[in-house]
Amino acid sequence: MSQDADGEAGEGKREQARAESDAWNITGYLLGGPIAWGAIGWLLDRWLGTEVFLPVGLVMGLGLGLYIVWVRYGRS
Amino acid sequence: MALTALGSVLSAEEGGEAVDPSKAGFVPPNSLEFAYPDIFGGDGWLTKPVLQIVLAVVVVFLFFFLSSRKRAMVPGKFQFAGEGVYGFIRNGVGRDVIGHGFEKFVPYLVTLFAFIYVNNVMGIFPGLNFPTMSRIGFPIVLALLTWGIYNYVGIRKFGVYGYFKNMMFPPGVPKPVYILLAPIEFVSTFLVRPVTLALRLFANMFAGHLLLLVFMLGGAYMLANESLLLNVLSPFAFVTAIALTFFEALIQLLQAYIFTLLTALYIAGAMAEEH
Repeated sequence: MSQDADGEAGEGKREQARAESDAWNITGYLLGGPIAWGAIGWLLDRWLGTEVFLPVGLVMGLGLGLYIVWVRYGRS
Repeated sequence: MALTALGSVLSAEEGGEAVDPSKAGFVPPNSLEFAYPDIFGGDGWLTKPVLQIVLAVVVVFLFFFLSSRKRAMVPGKFQFAGEGVYGFIRNGVGRDVIGHGFEKFVPYLVTLFAFIYVNNVMGIFPGLNFPTMSRIGFPIVLALLTWGIYNYVGIRKFGVYGYFKNMMFPPGVPKPVYILLAPIEFVSTFLVRPVTLALRLFANMFAGHLLLLVFMLGGAYMLANESLLLNVLSPFAFVTAIALTFFEALIQLLQAYIFTLLTALYIAGAMAEEH
């Protein structure tokens, strides 16, 4: 390779990359929460013939997603 | 037919009468603009986007093949360009993000970046004027490739049980809560990531192409219209179209980079020992 000057600059970029990865991972959790628990709630509704578990699952999933974000990223 | 924006503009140029009288005037561009017929007519699969994909393969291959042939210690301009692209991804994305053991992923990352970028640039390239990644099938394939790779790498390193255990059970959480969090972790890592990868690239290219169409076809319609006011105002549409073309050029590079960077991040995440 005719150029390979990265040393400390590389460390800065790794920090930046990690920050960007965190942003997308957090988005993933905030989406995945309602999706996962909404799906579970919807399946429960189909099994039991009710209508209440889908919205309960969605809301619970959002709350749990926020909790995961706090656990993984909020605590220092 | 005045079903597509182009159709309405062409019929305006023919004298201001839409072929379908109930659809007079400018029809804003819509998803029909992205549907191309088979080049031999009819419903086949050999469409312009397919040909552009093949062209992109040839272009990317030729670029890296020809720029690496001479291997001079003091590189000429073409070799310098090829090494620049390769080094940018190898160092900035491969080495800095994946770290230890990154070398075996470099070919995939470099090819991914170059391939996506060449396909995106076709959106503003004169004569082609269509970003192939705005047909969602193509980003889906690339996202599936990335998804397959980062899951395979994680499973090969930790075993199936270990990989899913790492994924679904973050540290620092009381045991009973694990069962509540596991589905979210699974959905987030396993399902949301490939979907957002494909969707992000597709939506950016789709929206960019639509924007360019609105201003270019709108400007053409205004210029061809009978109304003098519209004729006089049409340069504003064209100037905006030019400005948006430059903006699209930036977005195209950025989206190729983001796709590649996220691929590397997901691979690094799958191999991470931190849990």
